[in-house]
Amino acid sequence: MSEKLYARLLRLFPSHFRSGYGDEALQLFRDRAQDETGTFRRIRLWLDLLADVAISLPQEYGRDREGLGDAAPQLVDGVPAFAVLRDARLSFGPLSLGGALSLLLLASFPILLNLPENRQAISGNVFRPSRKHSGFRQPNASQVGHDQANGVSGNSSSFDAAERQRVLEATILNVREHYINPDVARKIADLLETHERGGDYDRVTDGALFAEVVTKELRAPNQDAHLALVYSESRLPPQPTDATAEEFAGYRSEMQRQNCTFEKVEILTHNIGYLKLNSFPGPTVCESTAKAAMVRLNRVDAIIFDLRDNGGGDGAMTSLIASYLFDHPEYWYNPRKTTTEESWTRSPIPGNRLADKPVYIVTSTRTISAAEQFCYDLKMLKRATLVGETTHGAAHAGVWYRIDDHFGVAIPETKPINPFANADWEGTGVEPDVKASAANALNAAEKLAEARLRKK
Amino acid sequence: MPKRKLDPLPSAAFQILLSLVDKNRHGYGIMRQVADQTDGRMRLGPGTLYGSIQTLSEAGLIEEVEPGASEKENNERRKYYQLTSSGRQLLRAEAERLADLLRVARAKKILRGDYV
Repeated sequence: MSEKLYARLLRLFPSHFRSGYGDEALQLFRDRAQDETGTFRRIRLWLDLLADVAISLPQEYGRDREGLGDAAPQLVDGVPAFAVLRDARLSFGPLSLGGALSLLLLASFPILLNLPENRQAISGNVFRPSRKHSGFRQPNASQVGHDQANGVSGNSSSFDAAERQRVLEATILNVREHYINPDVARKIADLLETHERGGDYDRVTDGALFAEVVTKELRAPNQDAHLALVYSESRLPPQPTDATAEEFAGYRSEMQRQNCTFEKVEILTHNIGYLKLNSFPGPTVCESTAKAAMVRLNRVDAIIFDLRDNGGGDGAMTSLIASYLFDHPEYWYNPRKTTTEESWTRSPIPGNRLADKPVYIVTSTRTISAAEQFCYDLKMLKRATLVGETTHGAAHAGVWYRIDDHFGVAIPETKPINPFANADWEGTGVEPDVKASAANALNAAEKLAEARLRKK
Repeated sequence: MPKRKLDPLPSAAFQILLSLVDKNRHGYGIMRQVADQTDGRMRLGPGTLYGSIQTLSEAGLIEEVEPGASEKENNERRKYYQLTSSGRQLLRAEAERLADLLRVARAKKILRGDYV
């Protein structure tokens, strides 16, 4: 027993020592163990041995280093070279250990690469805040209020009839010139002009209120939630520019605080994945969070996207998430963008297992814009079952046109070709496959998924 | 390399050389002899013992020998070591160095008894 233990200890020594003196060392131990009996002497023997190992191990390994001597930094033709100390064949043990370690390291790469911390701040995309440039989030009344709240007080301009006239004319001009649908543009222009002539705006003496009233009129003919007249009490920047570093940092920290609006990433009973997503944030900041969420759900048997409170966002994020649902690049229709290379999903994603799993999307009337794009495209591609209410119905981008220091108008503009038979969801929303109230929709989707999985 | 390791001569190496003066011994024999020489103060462990033996062999101060008929006992697998002539020389030089040291120590009257 104790001899075996000592034999183990001996294995710590370098191979040249073991092959030269291993047997003898063991013999010495045997001799001493035979002669030195009794508790005290035994303890002393083991203390001796341990001290001996502690002292002589470094010495034995040091022998190799000394062997290098002055030859240490050798150069052959200016190239560093190895000095061979002992010519011995590699045995199976070290080879297999080395192999196993290499495999482990390789296998850890995908995991390490997906860690959120490692991925941020790599992308060089320029962030464009949605309220200034085309973005799915519509500049609506609450946005106006927000701007007001943040506005510098005391800087408000007087809002008189002349200013009103000017803003209205500019609004009409912009709508006529830029709105996708000329018929609707004409209707809007007529409506606004009629109201102005009829003196309906005369009693509106407040810029914010005026913007709100006009926005309502703009949306009246086509229910286009991306159309808006925006008033800002603080001076508007000259022309929309790319986000300043400060704004970008603000957006980034806000997104980090909210976990990029990935409210819940869970695995429900029956191994059904559940993702509650409250917007589609810009991939520049949130790509790593999105990927981490999808990786976490990688092994589920079905997946439910809860978009009931999703206020929209960036089409690039809808495409990124959709990439996990296909095993080949799929055309990803975005009513805001002309077709480019980026119009295809990035499928297949290495290591992804979701491409053939049933997908359910839970919707409500508060499902807006980019969230509707996600619903619409997956529905048209027959890749998802929509459960809930008809979505809000805001498809077109709001492009920002500055009128003056305090007013600007947001107008949806581009109109790419829709590959699907149905018209996009502008004004109508996306119809669910299975109708349910928003409150019951998640429950209904879960039941559908369970039934589907049971059938398998 | 061996020179560097043996200059100054480590006390374990000196004791091993000393233990081989009167007869050839195997590892355990050396260890017991060293323990005797030092009144049990130095009990060489296998690592230190064979590490020193390796160094001394490489420096040509000791060498392995076939055990003599009387030394075979009942286990002929043991290796025996004997002092070489250069080993004996080095041992003498080292002993003289120590004797010199001792003379100085005695002259300075730091030894209690007069037993050397």
